[in-house]
Amino acid sequence: MMQWYKFVLHYLWIAPHALLAVVSVLMFVRRLHKTFPIFFLYTLYETIEFLLLFVIAGIAPTHRVLYRYVFTATLAGSIALRFGIIQEIFNHVFRDYSRLETLGAASMRWLTALLAVAAILLAFYSSGTVPDSLLSGVALLSRSVAIIQAGLLLFLFLFSHMFGLSWRSYAFGIAVGFGIFASTELAVSALHLTDLTEYSKDLLDLLPTGSYHVSVLVWLGYLLAAEKPVVAATDAVPEMDQWSGELERTP
Amino acid sequence: MSATLVFVLISITLLLLFAYLATRRTRDLPDLDRTITAIRALDVEAFRNLVDPEEEEFLRASLPAQEFRRVKRERSRTALDYIKELSRVSLQFAQFGDAAQRSPDPVIAAWGKRIANSAIYLRLRALDASAQLTLSATFPGLQPRSLRSLLEQYDRAAGLLLNHNALRRNAIKFP
Repeated sequence: MMQWYKFVLHYLWIAPHALLAVVSVLMFVRRLHKTFPIFFLYTLYETIEFLLLFVIAGIAPTHRVLYRYVFTATLAGSIALRFGIIQEIFNHVFRDYSRLETLGAASMRWLTALLAVAAILLAFYSSGTVPDSLLSGVALLSRSVAIIQAGLLLFLFLFSHMFGLSWRSYAFGIAVGFGIFASTELAVSALHLTDLTEYSKDLLDLLPTGSYHVSVLVWLGYLLAAEKPVVAATDAVPEMDQWSGELERTP
Repeated sequence: MSATLVFVLISITLLLLFAYLATRRTRDLPDLDRTITAIRALDVEAFRNLVDPEEEEFLRASLPAQEFRRVKRERSRTALDYIKELSRVSLQFAQFGDAAQRSPDPVIAAWGKRIANSAIYLRLRALDASAQLTLSATFPGLQPRSLRSLLEQYDRAAGLLLNHNALRRNAIKFP
């Protein structure tokens, strides 16, 4: 294995998790763990999961099976938390709009069911050519989850945009970060199901960790940038009187 | 083309879309000039006449069936244009209310919340009305539901804006 590859692989494995620990600390300091409790839990979970896997890889580098089983087991928790975060973002964006919340919640339920059916059907009809059952199982699961999560995030963006709702900075940052991660995960898990050469597989392994690194940087960036209060149009509206006049003319 | 290639293409499209949404966010702030222009252009009285059930009954009674269907189609299409404009205005109302909600002044923030909620409901009603009018333009014989609630909601949203403006004027007079 080339030296640069090992370095990049280790960097992309360690750096995002180290930064994620910083995100956890910053969230706690800024009391954001109360606003986004599931996302806060996710950052802690991912950090602890990384430490566990890092220790296994360091202490028992030959126990690849143990590493894979721990990875798969913790992946399930990570996936569940990511669904929880999407729900948390939804609640945060629509909490002030009761009518939209009802419509949005119903649409989300239907969309989740639809995307789940699509993901299951795709899993049946294009399950790939990888002989390793655990690896192919994980790739299939990742692809199905990525389809649902990317679809839900896209719906959240479009639905709020359709009703002119602006997002508070941090909720937006969390969603963009997950959007980037879910989109990349979709391509990577699909490619993992194909018959690739070892070299291609090694290169492909850099993509999800790379996109995860970008996502963590997005979360950190939005966290470090102070939430800017939008200068409400009400604060500078010399034309409002004119506007009122126009409205008063309407019966 | 394999399924893998399709997934890769979808993934790239999604990435580009998320990047686009992230970058265009700053341009989503409400533009008051645009809203004022849109309100000026909206002739609500003409729209009221177009969707008035009594006027429709009168036309149905006084015109031959074929002629009535032609007129009804034209009226529905024109009403649809109004609805599109109304929907656009409601979006601007919502953006205005949403921005006002973030004001450090609690009174403005409370009005912003009410305006945004009212505007969102107006937009929902407008979407419902556009579906009805499309149906009505396609099948002129159908008796559509009354659009009175849409007009009432428009009045309500406009009223909130007026009240908000009156409050603001009083605040300037008696700071």
